[in-house]
Amino acid sequence: MADETFDFAVCLERVRQRDQRAARELVDQLYPLVIRIVRAHLPRRVAEEDLAQEVFLKMFTRLDQYKGAVAFTHWVSRIAVTTCIDQLRAQKSRPEFRWADLSEQEAEVLDSVLTSENAVAANDALAARELVTKLLGQLKPEDRLVLQLLDLEQHSVAEISGITGWNPSLVKVRAFRARGKLKKLFEELERKERS
Amino acid sequence: MKDFASRWEKLVTAARQAPPADTVAPYGFATRIAARALGEPQPALRAVFGRFSVHALWVAGVLMLASMAANYVAFAGGEDDEQGLTDPVSEVLSSS
Repeated sequence: MADETFDFAVCLERVRQRDQRAARELVDQLYPLVIRIVRAHLPRRVAEEDLAQEVFLKMFTRLDQYKGAVAFTHWVSRIAVTTCIDQLRAQKSRPEFRWADLSEQEAEVLDSVLTSENAVAANDALAARELVTKLLGQLKPEDRLVLQLLDLEQHSVAEISGITGWNPSLVKVRAFRARGKLKKLFEELERKERS
Repeated sequence: MKDFASRWEKLVTAARQAPPADTVAPYGFATRIAARALGEPQPALRAVFGRFSVHALWVAGVLMLASMAANYVAFAGGEDDEQGLTDPVSEVLSSS
């Protein structure tokens, strides 16, 4: 997360004067924010560093368009989100979700979620995260983003609205639709597991 | 949906407990980005240059039309002017 004491206004002013050091500081400052968004929406066969680089280059190219109406971090988040969604859309097809493609630990976690009432074991947290990423990968980029931000990162609807630029009603509609699709996917997985 | 909601909640609760991945920029990443971003011509400068080029084109066009208009009489009456000129060779021969 970006350092709250960092003075973006001063840094941006220096960047506008072509100060390379200020540009480096800005990248270092924003990297955690950008890489979290990139990792959450990384298309297949795309390196996270390449996508992060694309986001930052877009940010510098459009810097003159930033008028300060929203927080700079939100403005950069929107660039990162739209860049990732564009990349995901470019992929068109999403791979089918199959039990056989899961690692042993991921399959155990999924089995536990589908059949047991108990919580997932703490040492399975990494596998659970991988599994969530794979499940979300079955959704449309916009739906995936909403559930990632809402359920996994626990942002409020208002915060998601700020990050994405979508109005709160649209965020709620997308979340509802995305959960409906995931529900169908869960039912399908459960059927396959029983058979 | 309720059954799904509890299962999904169970899964994301577990996923949230995973340790955060490293979020420090790789060595040289910021330097590379800064060099690429600020190494290219400034967009504003390019835009100004482009705007001047378009203005220059308009000014050149107007000047061309103005000069054509100013010299229209000369162009139109060119034959008459030539008719008014005497042949210098025959003039020299006739005077000698």
